[in-house]
Amino acid sequence: MKEYDVCVIGSGAGGGPVALTLSEAGYSVLVLEKGPWFTEEDFYKDELTCCRRSVYTPDLKDEQHVLEDYDGQNKDGSYKWSSQPTAESGSDFWNGNCVGGSSNFMSGYFYRLKPKDFYLRSAFGEIKGANVVDWPIDYAALEPYYTLAESVVGISGKILPHKHQEPRSTPDFPYPPTAEHAVSGLIDKACHELSMTPLPTPRAILSTPKDDRRSCEYSGFCGSYGCSSGAKGSSRAALLNKAIKTGHCTIQPHAKVYKLSSDQSGKVSSADYFDKNNVKQSVSAKIFVVACQAIETSRLLLASTGPKHPNGLANNSGQVGKNLLFSAGGSGTGEFSYKQFDSALSQSMQLRGPFVNRGLQDWYFIDDKAFGAPAKGGVIDFLFRHPNGISKANGEKWDDNGKLLWGKPLKQKLKTVFADTKYLRFEVFNDWLPTDDCFVSLDNSVKDKWGSPVAKIRLGYHDHDLKVGRYLADKSELVLKQMNAKNIRSSVSGSPPPNLVAGGCRFGNNPTTSVLNADCQAHDAENLYVTDGSFMPTGGSVPYTWTIYANAFRVADIIKNRL
Amino acid sequence: MRKELNKKIAHQWDDTIPEGLQERIKQRQGRRQFLKAAGVVPAAMLIAACENDKVTSVTPMNAVSAFAMPPWNTFFAVQNHLFPKDDDSPGAEDINATGYLKSVLALPDMDSADKKFILDGVNWTNDLSRQMFDHDFYQLTKNKKEQVLQRISLSSAGENWLSLLLLYIFEALIADPVYGGNTDKIGWQWLNHIPGFPQPPENKKYYLLK
Repeated sequence: MKEYDVCVIGSGAGGGPVALTLSEAGYSVLVLEKGPWFTEEDFYKDELTCCRRSVYTPDLKDEQHVLEDYDGQNKDGSYKWSSQPTAESGSDFWNGNCVGGSSNFMSGYFYRLKPKDFYLRSAFGEIKGANVVDWPIDYAALEPYYTLAESVVGISGKILPHKHQEPRSTPDFPYPPTAEHAVSGLIDKACHELSMTPLPTPRAILSTPKDDRRSCEYSGFCGSYGCSSGAKGSSRAALLNKAIKTGHCTIQPHAKVYKLSSDQSGKVSSADYFDKNNVKQSVSAKIFVVACQAIETSRLLLASTGPKHPNGLANNSGQVGKNLLFSAGGSGTGEFSYKQFDSALSQSMQLRGPFVNRGLQDWYFIDDKAFGAPAKGGVIDFLFRHPNGISKANGEKWDDNGKLLWGKPLKQKLKTVFADTKYLRFEVFNDWLPTDDCFVSLDNSVKDKWGSPVAKIRLGYHDHDLKVGRYLADKSELVLKQMNAKNIRSSVSGSPPPNLVAGGCRFGNNPTTSVLNADCQAHDAENLYVTDGSFMPTGGSVPYTWTIYANAFRVADIIKNRL
Repeated sequence: MRKELNKKIAHQWDDTIPEGLQERIKQRQGRRQFLKAAGVVPAAMLIAACENDKVTSVTPMNAVSAFAMPPWNTFFAVQNHLFPKDDDSPGAEDINATGYLKSVLALPDMDSADKKFILDGVNWTNDLSRQMFDHDFYQLTKNKKEQVLQRISLSSAGENWLSLLLLYIFEALIADPVYGGNTDKIGWQWLNHIPGFPQPPENKKYYLLK
């Protein structure tokens, strides 16, 4: 058995920075990825491929999850939970399972956390029923790596001063903003009239070429799609392709790691996986890095029992899988008829391709008596309705009473929705508070096609999340109203978005209450690191990817210094 | 509390989940409902249908020759009733909806339970059609077809069957022409739908990628 310096399990945003940093330093790196290896040559704007068939995700018959939902209360006041396998319910909880992971399919809304996000407990105090804790590192420890990610991943944007701007070591982004749609100007105008501060949204999308990656070609189909120009800063396009060129990094697709074996000392001794032909293989390394996205990372650790790890690898605290995080919030929509604009504006409103790229951070922290005590708020992003045509049409086949439409009424509705209406949406991101009701465990009956227990996920949320989300959604609706949008509506719920997931292996200084130390090294397995979003004790109110990239670069440096 | 909330937002399909994912969720949830209901509801529905069954004159329709044989003649007739051609817009025939459905059902990745349900729906539609009007569905007048489909849609299984056929009509209307529908991009043109680029070539169809 060949021994590598480092074996990375998972090739997404958590694995890519480690593979690149260590292979560039000359160490031998093996990346084991469960899914296939797609490249730019495989990515087309094909709605069936991206979104209507299981191409980038497993068939649920082969690999699934069990979801536990709130199902009322017992007489003693405790919650009841009902569980259902996703192959039955259809609630697909997979994201991208391929080389580069779900970073291939992200929209790339990139935000840093802010200094206060690292100590929410100290800043805002306890919230009853939530397990909010301070991080063991501060913003300053991560700042250089946020900056590194800007240039290595390729983040475009423009800094405008505002009251919640986080400190930066460089004045601005290395890449100018991507092209903007005419609606961005209308949003700016409305926000200024409302004394709000509209900000350009940083994107992990190249506005100018970089290395062998082309810049964005503005097809208008970005989120959920693989990028055919290489402009999107996926782990694959931005990091792994470079890592391979060092000659020190091997990527093994179709390698499903089912167990990390550990020895008498507690150290990880091998990664055991099924190859493409479903044959068992093993590989050894000095250091193992797990980055399978939060849910699967917890699942793998829980499944990896050993002499020193009777409850699962690195789980002597019992904390593996606990305090799972999603992103709280919701979304809303307003409608514009092309007829309400003069002909020039109507033309530019119909244009597809340039980005909206506008967000609001005015309420990143809420200090408003109408809300209550000062609290952590969140961000609002504006965007167009997803351009996928089949799903758009399919959503229109019901009338207002929920009755199926067909014939002429259906066709007239389709024509209006497609040809006469522009839908401007907003998304609200606020903290998903960590609670005892949101965690990963192993299901004791449902198994995947290789015979391993699947992850069971309890999906409880904290009511405070809805209060904050509603506050932000109401602010967002004001903007749409000011823009004269029609049919404005929004929804805020505790439904977890499976693509925005973190936590489960929180890092901390106390080995009895955390899984990882401040270096994201397991407290009780010294050659094991976790570098996906699992480490986060609190999520912050932004998409996680930039923070995952930055932290993985930070941990990669720690590993490099140790090797 | 949580369940209530989820129900309330279910039809809005909160877009914090990527849209494609939601659609798949919706599709699969739909299937589960049909499968549950398919065994039970149709029988009850048929009995109800018999009670006020009045056969009137019938004008048989000639199905296009490519789809002259069962079950395609029924699919052709149902699809063209659900999505009829108008002066200013294409109908199911123009977008090759039946040919598209035929090719989808023939793919190895097609869920076998979904496939069975879609095919079973044909027999069930014709059973009802014969009970109501003494003829197979494709032979009925437009008005009678509408009555049959309205009756079908009263059961949740029937509604789900029609809903699934509509979904595949939408795929034939809007998916890339490489899949055999959307003839000459007629669906995109009618809807002013601007597709993304690059568009998939023959050798990169979704079922060739995995």
